[in-house]
Amino acid sequence: MKRKILEVRELNKHFGGLHAVKDVNFDLFEGDRSAIIGPNGAGKTTFFNLLTGYHHADSGKVIFDGEDITNHPSHKISRVGISRAFQISNIFPKLTVFHNLRSAVQAQMGRAFDMFGRASQVGIEETERILALCGLAERRSVMAGELSQGDKKKLELALALAGKPKLLLLDEPTAGMSLEETRETMSLVDRLNEEYSLTILFTEHDMAVVFDHALRVTLLNRGEIIIAGTPEQVRMNESAQSIYLGEY
Amino acid sequence: MSCSSDRRNGFFSKLYRRTGLSGPVFVLLGLAFLFVPLLPGDFPTIVGVEILILGLFALSFNLIYGYMGQISFGHAAFFGLGAYATALLFRASQTATGEIGYIDFFLSLLIAMPVSAIGALIVGFFCVRLTGIYFALLSLAFGELLFYIVFSWYGFTGGDDGIQGLMPPPFFRDPDNYYYFTLAVVAVAGLLLWRITNSPFGYTLKMLRDNQRRAAFLGINVRLAMLMNFVVAGAFAGVAGALWGPFQRSVAPVLLGWMESGIPVFMTLIGGADFFAGPIVGSVIYTALNSYVTRYTVYWPLTIGLIILVIVLFFPGGILSIIDTRIRSYRNRQEAKEDLPVPSSEKMGSSQ
Repeated sequence: MKRKILEVRELNKHFGGLHAVKDVNFDLFEGDRSAIIGPNGAGKTTFFNLLTGYHHADSGKVIFDGEDITNHPSHKISRVGISRAFQISNIFPKLTVFHNLRSAVQAQMGRAFDMFGRASQVGIEETERILALCGLAERRSVMAGELSQGDKKKLELALALAGKPKLLLLDEPTAGMSLEETRETMSLVDRLNEEYSLTILFTEHDMAVVFDHALRVTLLNRGEIIIAGTPEQVRMNESAQSIYLGEY
Repeated sequence: MSCSSDRRNGFFSKLYRRTGLSGPVFVLLGLAFLFVPLLPGDFPTIVGVEILILGLFALSFNLIYGYMGQISFGHAAFFGLGAYATALLFRASQTATGEIGYIDFFLSLLIAMPVSAIGALIVGFFCVRLTGIYFALLSLAFGELLFYIVFSWYGFTGGDDGIQGLMPPPFFRDPDNYYYFTLAVVAVAGLLLWRITNSPFGYTLKMLRDNQRRAAFLGINVRLAMLMNFVVAGAFAGVAGALWGPFQRSVAPVLLGWMESGIPVFMTLIGGADFFAGPIVGSVIYTALNSYVTRYTVYWPLTIGLIILVIVLFFPGGILSIIDTRIRSYRNRQEAKEDLPVPSSEKMGSSQ
């Protein structure tokens, strides 16, 4: 039996009259590679925001690795081992790719407040390793703000990895990528999961990506979980088909 | 060929590669500063002291502006706090005839940094809860609050009379000696600030400038980092303030006011906020112009207003940004030239 790494219980979030996340119960086991799908506005991003402390939940609990992290601030949640890559790439545009990643690595090492060390000598190996892993080594000296959309998303993923996470949340990791970049990125995601036994939860609109790469799929609609199961179970489910999948 | 490779491995070229434009600028300015007292008359030396003190003040301001991406309109509060801390201890240590011993003199200078740091800790505690225009306005409000306290508290600060008669010990009364003393203090403070901006913390500040939300998701306590930086910036502004009183022989409440807070903003915009050396370059231009323009005309505010207008409209990155852009495009052209597979005879020709 695998260890439960994330446990979400009766989670709720309202925005005014909108019930964005509704009584969500959700479990994730160590080593899972799981996808959340659903139409626009289903609450996927809000759910991620609740997990990472960006929004406060109205009620419910989030337990990560045995620790209650409900409504903890983002920087604390990052330190217990949840990293996140954003849907709209969320990088440091006026730093180079290398400095983006090195700064993230230094933060992970607990050196963010070190005033007297030399930034050029801290965490360099780890930075190089992740740069190579994410296929960004050649772009190292480019200002992050000047990268192509696909490279920005790669950097986004690299930043999330710098946090040495136990759980990696990816919000539409391949949005805006070419087919080739999508293939590269998703095979990296698979590798991270298989070789580095990283638990991965991602949202995605591209159903081909979802059914090729997720081992479990959860369908969210209007803030509620409609069905959760293997890709096959979800694909065969009638309400899933009518809500989202259509003829897929 | 040999000529161009010489150029690329020259001292300034290497320094540029390692430190960007700020390294060469500091070496050149440092050398120039060494010789200022040799100019005829005391006037250039006195202007030089002012450039150095205000330059350090502006460098500390740029930790908040250029590095952390927030603008403070109340940074003079910490410059003034430092100046007053020094002045008050100075006055308490003076004999009836106004003399002060060397040890007491140094002690009164040393007290400024911790006093300003504590002031910045209290003000910063509130300011770092906000960003953007709200941060700016709150810093302005606190600056004016401190100004008003100093302005009104006759019993302790002398109110709007300020504190006069801060005559340093005999050695430091000579403008040249005070100049070199100031140069040494500013150089050490500048090196410390350089180290800080190139430390992991310095890069944390740049992360906060670019994207606070992302920094938080990478595990950085955003408010605490902002507060720490606010305190460091305040402490160094205090060091600059400490040097001011014995230089002018007096302090006054305007040192804490919003006009004074505008000075480092102007200097940083003129020099270039994206460069460590920007505020110092700005101080050279601003202070020298101020000193010479006010000799001939009372229209200094008009003059500096027009300069800022031109800079903001046409050179928004400041003076150093113009120079840096030129150097970069020159270097790119050089590299492109060398990468081209040209026949050896042409290579010889191109190196002339």
